[in-house]
Amino acid sequence: MMEEEKPQNNEMFVSSMSLPEFPVWEKMRNQRNVISFDLELTARCNNDCRHCYINLPQNDLEAKKKEIPLEQIKAIVDQAVSLGALWCLLTGGEPLLREDFFEIYMYLKKKGLFISVFTNATLITQKHIDLFKKYPPRDIEVTVYGVTEATYEKVSNKKGSFKAFMRGLKMLLDNGIKVRYKAMAIRSNVHELPLISEFCRERTKDYFRFDPFLHLRFDANPKRNEEIKSERLSPKEIVAIEKADDERYGALRKGCNELINPEFEHFNCNHLFHCGTGNGSFTVSYEGYFRLCSSLWHPQCICDLKTGDLSQIWEKFVLQVRDLRSDNKAFLDKCRKCSLVNLCIWCPAHAHLETGKMDTPVEYFCEVAHARAEMIDGSPHK
Amino acid sequence: MEKKVSIEKVYKPSEDVVARQVQGEFIIIPITSGIGDLEDEIFTLNETGRAIWDRMDGKKTLKVIAKDLSSDFESGTSDIEQDILGFTQELMKRNMLVEIGK
Repeated sequence: MMEEEKPQNNEMFVSSMSLPEFPVWEKMRNQRNVISFDLELTARCNNDCRHCYINLPQNDLEAKKKEIPLEQIKAIVDQAVSLGALWCLLTGGEPLLREDFFEIYMYLKKKGLFISVFTNATLITQKHIDLFKKYPPRDIEVTVYGVTEATYEKVSNKKGSFKAFMRGLKMLLDNGIKVRYKAMAIRSNVHELPLISEFCRERTKDYFRFDPFLHLRFDANPKRNEEIKSERLSPKEIVAIEKADDERYGALRKGCNELINPEFEHFNCNHLFHCGTGNGSFTVSYEGYFRLCSSLWHPQCICDLKTGDLSQIWEKFVLQVRDLRSDNKAFLDKCRKCSLVNLCIWCPAHAHLETGKMDTPVEYFCEVAHARAEMIDGSPHK
Repeated sequence: MEKKVSIEKVYKPSEDVVARQVQGEFIIIPITSGIGDLEDEIFTLNETGRAIWDRMDGKKTLKVIAKDLSSDFESGTSDIEQDILGFTQELMKRNMLVEIGK
């Protein structure tokens, strides 16, 4: 049968590729398809990190009661898979706090989804190890808040958390589970950042990334927002740590022409969204709200999945959100035309968290972007 | 050790893999360790493999599948049997199929 492609040996019926090689990415350039989604399983966390945009106490019963139940998660996953999703990120809060984490994880696996898990690693048990060994995640991403007990626990606000982190991380690594590392570069740990980078890089052949960009909380808690602001580094400090990191500085310099894009100056349009949000992925909050991306909490941009159908939301609602426009002159004259947009964490979502509006410039973001631009191309940007 | 495949036996996709159609592409995704070398490895079948895979329902022997395919593709049964045996051998080796009754 099918003479022209008759196998010459026993190894021709099947071929393999890694996920990044899958031709679906090419197709995405021209059309909107669901490729991935994030599931925030809980807002609760056993740590109480100073910079966190979501964490609520581990024993917050009110928050626990609001968490999407397993059956609803299954329904959302079914719909996401039927829309073509290939990859799911399980995040929180601390996702391992969910008592039904194992059931959720296995449900995703059996649907043929690749899974990433964001965790602080402090709650890893042998049962998790057995699960991850038999049914491997694509990766586990662990945040390293510090590499000394004092620094780690200054950030995490939890006594004993450093020991628990080191124990959990060791269990993952000793059992060959793929771990990726990230760090938040904040006021409380910036003095230790070189050691954190060293710690991470010597434990992975994969990437390590640090992030000095803190956005505000989803629940707009004013006291916690002040704490986040107090943890933000100054533009000068951000530039200094980026410059001190050869890998990061090299990448920024290499991408200079794309990062500083004069074409943006010629955009003459009042659309709010010019990023890729809602083109290939979405986020589900712990209470079951659909968002185009993790930070986009503006009431005009969220949908309750308890009452809405995911494919309808994806096909109609997302397009409506992407079509939102602004008539705010300050935004249209400043951010909308800015050539530094790729160096700035300003976006409608972060602007909303910061100011309550999606089209308001944020001075701090602006200062950081300008300082970064000067760092990578050596000339001041006005 | 190579697993012996017989034309008289029944095979079906293993529960350790999930077959999906994603954006028009048919793919097989391993869900347990030991199939593939990477955490994000996916597999595709050629046209012949796909035709055989679709008929592996855990009820038909390979011989019956060969007969089905020979009438669908108007091709000689013995050539098809060779293809089916080769396919089954390869996928058994990769732990993507299981033999029924074992």
